[in-house]
Amino acid sequence: MKNETVPELSWLDDPEVFRVGMLPAHSDHIFYDSEESCQNGEKSLYQSLNGAWQFCWSRNAAVRPEKFYEEDFDSSSFSSIIVPGHIELAGYDRIHYINTMYPWEGHLYRRPAYWQEGKGGYPGQFSEAEYNPVGSYRLEFDLMKELWGKRVCISFEGVEQAMYLWLNGHFVGYGEDSFTPSDFDLTPYIREKGNVLALEVHKRSTAAYLEDQDFFRFSGIFRNVILYAKPEVHVEDLWVKPVLHEDNHSGSFALDLKLSAAGEALESLKGYQISVALRDKAGNLLLERKIPAADQIFLAPEELPELHPWEHKTPYLYHLEIRILSETGMLTEIVPYDIGFCNLELDHGVMKLNGKRLIINGVNRHEWNARTGRVINEADMAQDIACFHENHINSVRTCHYPNQISWYGLCDREGIYMMAETNLESHGSWQKMGQVEPSWNVPGSIAQWKEAVVDRMRTNFETFKNHVSILFWSLGNESYAGDNIQAMQEYLREKKDRRFIHYEGVCRNRAYEAVISDVESMMYAPPWEVKEYLENNPKKPYVLCEYMHDMGNSLGGMKSYIDLLGQYEKYQGGFIWDFIDQALYVEDQVTGKDVLRYGGDFDDRPSDYEFSGNGILFANREPKPAIQEVRYYYGLYE
Amino acid sequence: MAYMNSSDKMKVVFGDVVLGVHSKGAFGGEGFEYLFSYSAGGMESLAVNGREWLYRAPKPTFWRAVTDNDRGCGFPFRSAMWMGADMFQQVKAIRVFLDGEEIKDFLPPGNNRFQGEVEASSLEVSYAYRTATVPETQVDVSYEIEKSGRIQVKVHYYGREGLPQLPVFGMRFVMPTKADGYVYHGLSGETYPDRMAGGTKGRYEIKGLPVTPYLVPQDCGMHMQTDWLTIRRSSVLANNVKPGKDLSAESFSITFESSGNPFAFTCLPYTAEELENATHQEELPAARRTVVCILGAVRGVGGIDSWGSDVEKDYHIDAAQDIIYSFNIIPCFE
Repeated sequence: MKNETVPELSWLDDPEVFRVGMLPAHSDHIFYDSEESCQNGEKSLYQSLNGAWQFCWSRNAAVRPEKFYEEDFDSSSFSSIIVPGHIELAGYDRIHYINTMYPWEGHLYRRPAYWQEGKGGYPGQFSEAEYNPVGSYRLEFDLMKELWGKRVCISFEGVEQAMYLWLNGHFVGYGEDSFTPSDFDLTPYIREKGNVLALEVHKRSTAAYLEDQDFFRFSGIFRNVILYAKPEVHVEDLWVKPVLHEDNHSGSFALDLKLSAAGEALESLKGYQISVALRDKAGNLLLERKIPAADQIFLAPEELPELHPWEHKTPYLYHLEIRILSETGMLTEIVPYDIGFCNLELDHGVMKLNGKRLIINGVNRHEWNARTGRVINEADMAQDIACFHENHINSVRTCHYPNQISWYGLCDREGIYMMAETNLESHGSWQKMGQVEPSWNVPGSIAQWKEAVVDRMRTNFETFKNHVSILFWSLGNESYAGDNIQAMQEYLREKKDRRFIHYEGVCRNRAYEAVISDVESMMYAPPWEVKEYLENNPKKPYVLCEYMHDMGNSLGGMKSYIDLLGQYEKYQGGFIWDFIDQALYVEDQVTGKDVLRYGGDFDDRPSDYEFSGNGILFANREPKPAIQEVRYYYGLYE
Repeated sequence: MAYMNSSDKMKVVFGDVVLGVHSKGAFGGEGFEYLFSYSAGGMESLAVNGREWLYRAPKPTFWRAVTDNDRGCGFPFRSAMWMGADMFQQVKAIRVFLDGEEIKDFLPPGNNRFQGEVEASSLEVSYAYRTATVPETQVDVSYEIEKSGRIQVKVHYYGREGLPQLPVFGMRFVMPTKADGYVYHGLSGETYPDRMAGGTKGRYEIKGLPVTPYLVPQDCGMHMQTDWLTIRRSSVLANNVKPGKDLSAESFSITFESSGNPFAFTCLPYTAEELENATHQEELPAARRTVVCILGAVRGVGGIDSWGSDVEKDYHIDAAQDIIYSFNIIPCFE
């Protein structure tokens, strides 16, 4: 047994500690151990831990049940909570909506660690705060038989905001990025029966400075919790590199794989074979290769003469299957993945997809459900996609954090262009009362904040890199610009990924213009300002990452923007702000009816009140009347 | 829609406080009876076959419940005067024309000379309203009644330099009870001058009086480019009319139609001020009336942002310019 790390509360205060004992981010592939389960989509190597957990809420770390992770801890005083769900919607703590201000504004005087040169951090800023709620989650569970005897890992797909994990009394790890999966290896401590999993969630940490999105400020386990068991030999990561050549019908296929084995890695892989098969929709085999297993495999580009390009109207997907076969030819693991081929290029300053000028008829989309907040289900997603199609919306920006995993595959299948945004927004650190005021700003160029944001970029990239629908990586939202955001872009550049890199914040600090963002991206620029840029030797293609702010009954004047598409080749469209109102159903104290409530309705202060209601849909997914205007104008350029 | 037999002349009653005009039946009988008050500031009654269509005298309207963008760009602060003007106004002159000829000295005791009902083929009553603004301006509203019962309403806003932009301008009719719904010929959905490209021209039937459930109640339900609007009710305030008996499940309707240029309208259970006053939908009072605004000018709703940008210039209403428009009210006798 390895030396156990001792968890420290001080990690909450330290921007340089954001993942401890966490597995490296990896592609979001599903795997099976038999042809049959693969065909039927029976995820027999997975065990969901969603459901009722034991729960205890504490106002701060000092009063939390510190030893709750111990196996013999008496948890009889704990109550119950449904996972996934927000703590605030389960009857604890206060619901709070606030836009750009940090949620402690006016309550506490805070500055981020290391903001002043030569000065240090602020020990205790979060770990010793009088108000920094802690959710102590405990779950006793038996391992499903199918997972016995295998390497077992756990994936928390979304936990806000800082989490400490224990299994059977042993500390496992720590993580901060709320909107990407946090995976941990449980193998050293897991048992077939009677496991005690303990998760301690702290509402805020230094990550709070990086997660200042304009939304309800929730905490807790709000996405799936899943155990998975790796077969003897396992694909840890796959990176598909489909290329569509400039002729837009031939292309190539390359693949990088990372494998792991149950025993001593290299020895255990001996004799194993990897079989790679690529098929078209009709099942015709385009390519088949057999390669000896190794911990890293690079399948060099293979030419494919005739391909169906992937695009909005024809989202053609090819079916990739990777099989791991033992020496005797027995199937050990099979990984299916749907991929697409598209050709993204910058041609004389115009973004092109498959040789055609890219037009973005987009929306910004927060994950939202008026009853469950950012906990949304497959039906919500399906409804959103149907609404996209009905209204000629071809693009979505995952504002301002990575979304649930299944959304990406849905966009692949449905031909929705994605701007995949990284979980980063530090709005309150540079814009104060509407003015650019970066006297203190994170991540900026502060060395101690660099790795945290690069890691957020890395996790976003590594998790979703195989999704053809992603045409843009977005470095984050409204976080000003500095060396650290430049480092995020450099990370992507090193990956030699063909997608466009997007970041709007550089327009607030043009010193970084040459090294951040492939596109000139603005938000809420009036039409005449867009024109001004485009008529003065535009260096980059232009996209409005947010426009047509549809707060309440406010969508109008869309023509002036849509006309620009016909006037300037380098104007390539925009993303309406936004898709769905963020408001919550509450039982009205007076009438007893379910009514929609917004910021300030929970005695939450300071608040930005109804500023979260800017959707072209109401919070209950009913369309606002203005949607017919969107349908008309987006229909002109579909 | 059945018109009255147009060979019959209508009867005009030069009362002391109220000027009345009716077809054959006064006091809630068959036909129409319209009352124009000298003291209540406008047309006080519009009764058709005994069914009353007015709760209070219709007045010019100058306000819409501000939208989130209006608020964000400071519009209500700049134009707040018009909210007061919308709520409070004063009649400064009333004129009467009978068969095209102006009648002077129609107030008591001058009216003693009429001796009885006066027959006429047409009657025009016009009201001049002062606005509670600084500087003050004027709105003329004239009702021209034909013997068929059709009313042509002509509205004239006198532009005046120095007044802030208007959010809206038109006439507001408040009906005694909540309508069952309405039918109109115009654009689909909720449209505004800067948001009507997506509207499709056609005939649309709306059940009830839906209020678009914006998080914070605000102006809503605007319909641009309308040719006609028919409102249907089946309830009355009259104590001697029993629904299901006298009304025998029947409903009754009235139509507003364009006279030349299409108009814009809203048909909601609330006034702009009632909407303005609520921070949530559930704070709106119980819906009990029908508030119809027939509008000659509508401000856009904008969309650039909600914290400073005004709606585009083409969609402002310049209060220095005159606004002149007209429409017809057509009673239905079925």
